[in-house]
Amino acid sequence: MPSSISDSKSRCLLYCKVLAGICASLLAVIEISSIYLLKRHSPTYARISRQYSEAGKIRPAGPGEPANVLMVGNSLLLHGVELDRLRTLTSARMNIYPIFLEATGYYDWLYALRELFRQGARPQAVVLGVGVNYFLADGVRQDYAPMLFFSAGDTLAVSSDLHLDRTATSNLLLAHSSTFWDTRSAIRTQVLSHVVPHLEDLFMLVNQRPTVPEGREFEEIVMPRLRRMQELCEAHGAKLILLVPPTLSAESAIGEMAYAAHKAGVDVSVPIDPAALSANFYQRDGMHLNSQGAVVFTSALAKDLPDKVATHNTLASRPVRQSSSLAPEIADREH
Amino acid sequence: MLFDSPAYFIFLIPVVIIYWRLNRQQQNVFLLLASYLFYGWWDWRFLALMICSTTVDFLIAQKISANNGDTNRKKWLIFSLILNFSVLGVFKYFNFFADSLSTALDTLGVHNIPLPVIRILLPPGISFYTFQEVAYIVDVYKGRLEPAKSFIEYGLFVSLFPHLIAGPIQRPGHLVPQVQTDRRFDADRFFDGLMLIFSGLVRKCVVADNCALLANAAFGGQLGAPNLWVVLIGTYAFAWQVYGDFSGYSDIARGSARLLGFHFMINFRQPFLSRRLQDFWRRWHISLSTWLRDYLYIPLGGSAGGEWKTSVNLLKTMILAGLWHGANWTFVIFGAIHGVVLGLERRLFPTAVKPGDAAQPRPVVAFFSLWGQRILTFNIFCLSLAFFRATSLHAAIQFLSGLSNFAWRSEYASALFMLSIFSMPLFAVDLLLEASNQEYPFANASYAFRTGLASVALVLLTLFSGNAFNAFVYFRF
Repeated sequence: MPSSISDSKSRCLLYCKVLAGICASLLAVIEISSIYLLKRHSPTYARISRQYSEAGKIRPAGPGEPANVLMVGNSLLLHGVELDRLRTLTSARMNIYPIFLEATGYYDWLYALRELFRQGARPQAVVLGVGVNYFLADGVRQDYAPMLFFSAGDTLAVSSDLHLDRTATSNLLLAHSSTFWDTRSAIRTQVLSHVVPHLEDLFMLVNQRPTVPEGREFEEIVMPRLRRMQELCEAHGAKLILLVPPTLSAESAIGEMAYAAHKAGVDVSVPIDPAALSANFYQRDGMHLNSQGAVVFTSALAKDLPDKVATHNTLASRPVRQSSSLAPEIADREH
Repeated sequence: MLFDSPAYFIFLIPVVIIYWRLNRQQQNVFLLLASYLFYGWWDWRFLALMICSTTVDFLIAQKISANNGDTNRKKWLIFSLILNFSVLGVFKYFNFFADSLSTALDTLGVHNIPLPVIRILLPPGISFYTFQEVAYIVDVYKGRLEPAKSFIEYGLFVSLFPHLIAGPIQRPGHLVPQVQTDRRFDADRFFDGLMLIFSGLVRKCVVADNCALLANAAFGGQLGAPNLWVVLIGTYAFAWQVYGDFSGYSDIARGSARLLGFHFMINFRQPFLSRRLQDFWRRWHISLSTWLRDYLYIPLGGSAGGEWKTSVNLLKTMILAGLWHGANWTFVIFGAIHGVVLGLERRLFPTAVKPGDAAQPRPVVAFFSLWGQRILTFNIFCLSLAFFRATSLHAAIQFLSGLSNFAWRSEYASALFMLSIFSMPLFAVDLLLEASNQEYPFANASYAFRTGLASVALVLLTLFSGNAFNAFVYFRF
C-alpha cells in the first residue's frame, strides 16, 4: 500500500477515535452541567425536591394535633390553590404538605406515593388533585418524574402498567438514571424561550392534553385506578381524598369522576361547581384558574377539605356526602 | 429499537466491534442474529412471521431457478406474489377493505352485514421487507439475479437491520452481491458512516421532532379552527417533519450500514428543490419510487402506449404508492393527486427535468422561473400532505377548507418563527448539497473540520432534541 494512502487511513482512524472521545467527553460534560444547572437554576427542581423532602418526613399527628395531610397534584393545583391562604384558613385542623408538579397524572402519583411511603412518609390523608384528563391519561411525565419520583424498580413497573415497548422502557430507565436525559426537554424549552418570542403562549396552545374517554370506558378506567390508589394509601394508614378542581367546559366529566369515586368508596372533594365559575376566573387556556379563580377555589377548598380529612376511619359507615351542586346528579345516577 | 434512542447505540456499538473481528461467514451469521434481535426487540411474534416469509421466498427462488420450463417458473412466481401480497394484505389492508365494503353496502342500502374485523398489530417494516422479497423473486424469475446460495445470505439481504424497518428498500442486485462477497474495513467509509449518523440524528431529533410539535398542534386543532395560517403552519411543518424524519432515518440507516461495510442507495436528494413533481419523485424516497417504476409502472406498460395510456399508468402507480403508505382513503387521495399532477405535467411540460439542472448558472428571468417552479412544486406537495396527515377524508377537506379564512392570532407569529428556525437550516444544507452534489455537508472537507462539524451536531442535539417519544413517521408503513 502506498505510504500516502496508509497515512490517510491512519489519520482517518485517529479522527474516528477523536470523534468517539469527543462524544464520550461531551456526554460527561453535559451530564455534569445538567446536574449543576438543575440544582442551581431550576425553580421547578428546587420546589419539587424541597416539597418531596418535607413530605418524606410526614408522620402521624398526635391526639389533639392538626392532621398531617399530603396534597399532590399538577398545575391545576399549582395555579388554583393559594397555599399560604389555604394553610392559614385550615391551620387549626390540618397541616398541609404539598407536592405540585405540572403535567403529572395518575401513574406519576401512584408511584410517587409508593416511593414516599417506602421512605417512611405517614400522612393521615392523601389529597390527589390532577383533574379528570390527567387521571385518565395512560402516561407519565417524561422528565422530573422518573428521576424524582420513581425508583428503578418502579420504572419497570410503570412500563408494565403502561404497556410500554422496550425502547420506551429503556428511555424511561435512562431518564431515571441520567439527569441530562431526564431534563433535556426542559433544556430545549429554556433555549427556545430565549430565541422564539412569546414561546410560553405558543406552548400553552401546542402542548397536547389527554382526552377524556366517554361512556363505559370512563368507569372501566377510573374504578380500578381509584381502588388501587386507595389500597396503597390505606395500607399505609392514610385516607385517600380525590380532589377534583374545576376546569372550563368539563362539568359532565367532573360529575362522572365524582360519581365513579363515590362508587369506588373514595371520598371526593369537588369544592367548586365548575358551572359556577365563568371564563373570567380562568386563564386563557380555559383550564387553569387565574388569581381571581384561585382565591375562590382556595376558600371553597378550605371549607370542604378539613371535614373530609376529619372523617378518617369512618369511610365504611359514612353516608353519601357531597359538598357541591354535583351531589344531586350523583344521587340521580344511583337511582 | 428506534434509531434515535440510546438503546440503538447500545446495540450498534458492540455489534460493530464484534463484527469486524469475524470472517465473512461468521459476519453474516452474526449480523443475521443481530438483525433478528433488533427486530424481535419490538415483538418476537413478528419475528416468526418474517422468518417464515423469508424461508418461503428463499425456497421459491430456488424452485424458479431450478426449473427450466417457463410455465412452472411462472407458477412459482405467481404463487410467491400471491403469498407475499396476501400476507401484506391481511396484516395491513384487511380491515381497511372490510370497512370500505361495509360503508359501500351501507350506501347501497344493505345494512348490518357482519364483516370480520381482525384485531392485530401491523408488524413493523412489513411493507418494506415484502417489497424487497418481491423484487428478489421477480429478479430471479427474469434472470437478472442468481438466487442466493444459502439461507443466511438471503435472510441477511431481507433482514439486515439498518434497512429492515423503514428502508431504504434495497434492490437485490445491489445488496445480495455485497452479502456474498468479503467486506473489508475501510476507515474513510467508516468515518463517512459516522458523519451520516450525526446528520441523520440532527435531521430527526432537531428538525423533525420540533416541527412535529407544530404540525401536531395544527392538525390536532390546538392552534384553533383551521384557517389560512393554521393550514400553512400545519402543512409546512408537516412537510419539514416528514422530510427531516425520513431523510434522517435514511441517513442513520445508510451510516449504520457503512459502519458494517455495506453500501445502501441514497434515498433523498434535496426534494424541496424540485422544479416539478416528476423531479420531486426522483429525489424523494428514491428507493420506493424506483421500485414502483421498475416493478409496477414499467410492467403496466410505462410510457410505451401513448400519452393517455401513460397518464393512466402514472395514476395507477401513484394510487398504489399512496396505498402503500397506509390503509386509508386519505393515502389513496394523496397518491391520486400526485398521479393527476404528474399526468398534467407530462402534457404541459414534455421535456423532463434532470436533477442537477438547477445548479447551472442562469440569467435573472431563469432564476425567478426556477424558484417560481420550486415554490409551486413545494406547495402542491404541502397541500397533498393534508390528506397524508389527516385521519380521514372529511378531516382533510375540513382542514383545507380553512384556506379561505384569514383570522390571525399572535401565537401564529411565534409558530412561524419557530418553524423557520428549524426548517431554514435544513433548507440551507439542501442548497449546499445541491451545489456540491455530496451526501452530507462538507463531505470532502478535512477530517478535523468534519470532526468539528460532528461536535456541533452533538451540541445541537443536546440543546434541541425533545423529550417526547416520537416514533419515526415511516415506521407505521
